[in-house]
Amino acid sequence: MKVTSQLPSREVREKRRRIRSLKDNTSRFGITAAGYGVVFSLALIFVYLFYEVLPILKGAEITPVAQYDMALVTQEEPSAQVLIERYQELGVNFTQQGGIRFFHLDSGEERLHTQVSLAQADTVSSFAAAESLGGLVAYGSASGKVQLLRPDYQLSFPNDQRQITPGIVYPYGEQPIQLDPQGAAIQHLSVQESTRGRPAVFVAGYTEDQRWLLAKVSTRENLFTGRATQQIERSELPHFAVEPRFIRVDKAFRNLYVAEGSRLHYFDISQLRAPKLIQTVDVGEEITALEFLVGSVSLVVGTETGGLSQWFPVRDEQNAYQLEHIRSFKQHPGAITTIRPEYTRKGFLAGDSAGYVGVHYATSSRTLLLKQMAEQPIEKLAVSPVNKAVLTFSGEQVQYASLWNQHPQLSFKALWNRVWYEGRSDPEYIWQSSSGNDEFESKFSLIPLSVGTLKAAFFAMLFAMPLGIMAALYTAYFMTPKLRGVVKPTIEVIEALPTVILGFLAGLWLAPFMEHNLPAVFALLIGLPLLMVLMSFLWSCLPRSLKRLVPAGWEAVLLVPALVLFGWAAVASSPWVETWLFDGSMRQWLTNQGITYDQRNALVVGLAMGFAVIPTIYSIAEDAIFNVPKHLTQGSLALGATPWQTMVGVVLPTASPGIFSGIMIGFGRAVGETMIVLMATGNSPIVNFNIFEGMRTLSANIAVELPETAVGSSHFRILFLAALVLFAFTFVLNTIAEVVRQRLRKRYSSL
Amino acid sequence: MIQTNELTEPTMTQEAAKFSVRNLRLAYGESEALKGIDLDIPEKKVTAFIGPSGCGKSTLLRCFNRMNDLVDSCKITGEVLLDGENIYAPQVDVAELRRQVGMVFQKPNPFPKSIFENVAYGLRLQGVKDRRTLMDVVEKALRGAALWDEVKDRLNDNAFGLSGGQQQRLVIARAIAIEPEVLLLDEPASALDPISTLKIEELINELKDTYTIVIVTHNMQQAARVSDYTAFLYMGEMIEYADTNTLFTTPRHKQTEDYITGRYG
Repeated sequence: MKVTSQLPSREVREKRRRIRSLKDNTSRFGITAAGYGVVFSLALIFVYLFYEVLPILKGAEITPVAQYDMALVTQEEPSAQVLIERYQELGVNFTQQGGIRFFHLDSGEERLHTQVSLAQADTVSSFAAAESLGGLVAYGSASGKVQLLRPDYQLSFPNDQRQITPGIVYPYGEQPIQLDPQGAAIQHLSVQESTRGRPAVFVAGYTEDQRWLLAKVSTRENLFTGRATQQIERSELPHFAVEPRFIRVDKAFRNLYVAEGSRLHYFDISQLRAPKLIQTVDVGEEITALEFLVGSVSLVVGTETGGLSQWFPVRDEQNAYQLEHIRSFKQHPGAITTIRPEYTRKGFLAGDSAGYVGVHYATSSRTLLLKQMAEQPIEKLAVSPVNKAVLTFSGEQVQYASLWNQHPQLSFKALWNRVWYEGRSDPEYIWQSSSGNDEFESKFSLIPLSVGTLKAAFFAMLFAMPLGIMAALYTAYFMTPKLRGVVKPTIEVIEALPTVILGFLAGLWLAPFMEHNLPAVFALLIGLPLLMVLMSFLWSCLPRSLKRLVPAGWEAVLLVPALVLFGWAAVASSPWVETWLFDGSMRQWLTNQGITYDQRNALVVGLAMGFAVIPTIYSIAEDAIFNVPKHLTQGSLALGATPWQTMVGVVLPTASPGIFSGIMIGFGRAVGETMIVLMATGNSPIVNFNIFEGMRTLSANIAVELPETAVGSSHFRILFLAALVLFAFTFVLNTIAEVVRQRLRKRYSSL
Repeated sequence: MIQTNELTEPTMTQEAAKFSVRNLRLAYGESEALKGIDLDIPEKKVTAFIGPSGCGKSTLLRCFNRMNDLVDSCKITGEVLLDGENIYAPQVDVAELRRQVGMVFQKPNPFPKSIFENVAYGLRLQGVKDRRTLMDVVEKALRGAALWDEVKDRLNDNAFGLSGGQQQRLVIARAIAIEPEVLLLDEPASALDPISTLKIEELINELKDTYTIVIVTHNMQQAARVSDYTAFLYMGEMIEYADTNTLFTTPRHKQTEDYITGRYG
């Protein structure tokens, strides 16, 4: 009998083999490419985040642009102050004799030359500048008068070309203010302009006959006539026999600082009629420069040895202020000659007698640059309002240079250590990225956000981990397959629930509900597990004949009515319990116990996010437990183990890689979760683990602040850093999880 | 059926019965797997169950330690007496029964633990914690399973590092560590190579002085080699049960003869 082959012919087979190998190769290539694509895009995300963050690590840079003879600018008169205008086209030099010269920054060419207007036969005896932002300067005169003026720039665009026309304005009238009614020459002067409330100027002066004068000049405009009336309140310090080198008054007109020798005297002048000396501190070295940082809260003290330190008044327990040394900056090689604060940040530039210019930043304690600009001492220094240009006067030379100093606020210390912020009584971890005014000190500590992230994840896991794992154990190992077929998909469907809905419910329904039913919440949290144990105990006590009525594996269904009943009872009895045990309100009771309670708190987040995380943990753990080979459980049972012993002794260890990876993936999800924490945490960046207080997480912080920040700003970059930290968190978590899982899997392999 | 009862009678009179099966019926849902089995398993002898695939020999074996309880749809009627006590009586502690009646499965199933912990597992279940006691018992059990010399230097290694034959002997060691009275072997050598099979068979020969052994096998030579008594099952019924020599040389039933001569199965 001839056997006829049913196979296709040789040629057809050949052809099919070729098609098959083509398919093989295509899929091999496709899958490999996709795999590398995933790795590559992950790496790209990382690289992009890092690229956005990188500039904050850079220091400052100064690049010389122009150099010219000082005589051009000063015309042989010593300079009192030099300023750069906003567009970095013009500079203005105020001389000690009252000359005011506007000049082109890149050439030194004169643009305008004028003189402060004083009464005839009166001469300039002193100079003072208020905070750079307002640009107000004051000249004190030999007759005890003070003239307030401000450089003014008119902007016009003839032929579409920007043209800046400089000028001088006298915002408080061209008539000088009589600071000293006795008419003594003012030797030292300090002036500040109030930026809050009615326009007002604070002036402090020291006369040649050793009197200390204080004056508050305020103007009020008549609503009907439009006429401005000027009001001057004067006061005098009690006799204080020191010869000052610097006097500085702050813009709130509360504090007056006097530097003399190596000592710094701190006066409280908030009661203008009764000023008093609070404190005298010895800096240890001769003070050669003294300047406020923007906001006039912090003082930067420069000394003869090149030391730079920051001081500000700190409130103590008795509510009294004491001047404290906050931090020191990198030492300059020569005596500090001049300090110029930045206009809108807590940074400053300092020049020294060795010709060095230092770029420093207070909050981050960073010295971004220390560079020699000249052989001779730096006499005057100016920084542009937008921190992009520097002007130095040294010896016979004026140097104009461009400055790159975009991100001085950030340093490892400022991000991760306690920082002593202005106005705080101690170094603290604070996240407070922005505010409405220019004097605000940005507080960029990542600790509150990281702690918040971990706190939210911790409470979510506290809730989700036991429930997820226990549920997985029960469904995979004890439940009847029929019931499992219903329960498992149901729980897995929860995972598909949009977290924004969970967050919405948690924030708007759960949080107020819990606040009003606190006893019920606790009764449920503690009572439900106990109830389940009690129910199963009662079940085991039931006679066998009754138990027969419920098929094996369906016992759990009996729990449902009991749980519902208990839940109802707990909520219904909640007001009564509050009345009996907690004087009517458990929330108030907690507050009385010294426990802060916020409506949006970690408990709410723990429940809501736990709810979101449970399906993840449950699903993975359940699969792992269910896939423990039957011959292992049978082997254990055949050795006389009870089902429980089998589960603990064989099933759990064998399923541990899966359970572990379920936990870690759940944890990773909790760390990265955004919508729930955004809506239910209150977003207060606090550092504690109180379950009744909220938190702000890294992810929620990015979601809240990124839309409002300026692209490319330090704040913008630090949000990217936060993203990088978050990325690192989840990356490290997942890597640990994967490594541990691989180890465990190896240990329990070949099953 | 009626004839089988007659056949079992001689064995009952000769030996003290460890297990007595009385009219055992077992059904998985609608399909009946065992249709009224009666037999006695003699003490400290090797009894083999042979028969074609699906004849119910493994099911019958699993009735001796109630492993069938784990199958949801399984329904059992009749009695299985262990030393005269019905093991299906309500007050019986299944875990204790399984301690008394050890079982070895077809596929070696060591736990994902060390060799030592595998053998000690059953003892730990009984609450033995003392390290020295455990060590003694583990050594004794491993010697009993003829494995001691091969593993004594690597007791803390993972049991999966052992060969299939070693794993099977480890599982036997694990079973005898808790001092059972009966050992149920469910095709213990079917997944092993000939040399390992030989070792297992030698081991069975040694163990039968101490334990009552019931072995399921579809290898008739093996049944002939190791067992004292053999039962032939077919379609859920016990066709013939006699001492091994008799059954293999002068079977009374046509079906038995057909099977042992290889006509089907």
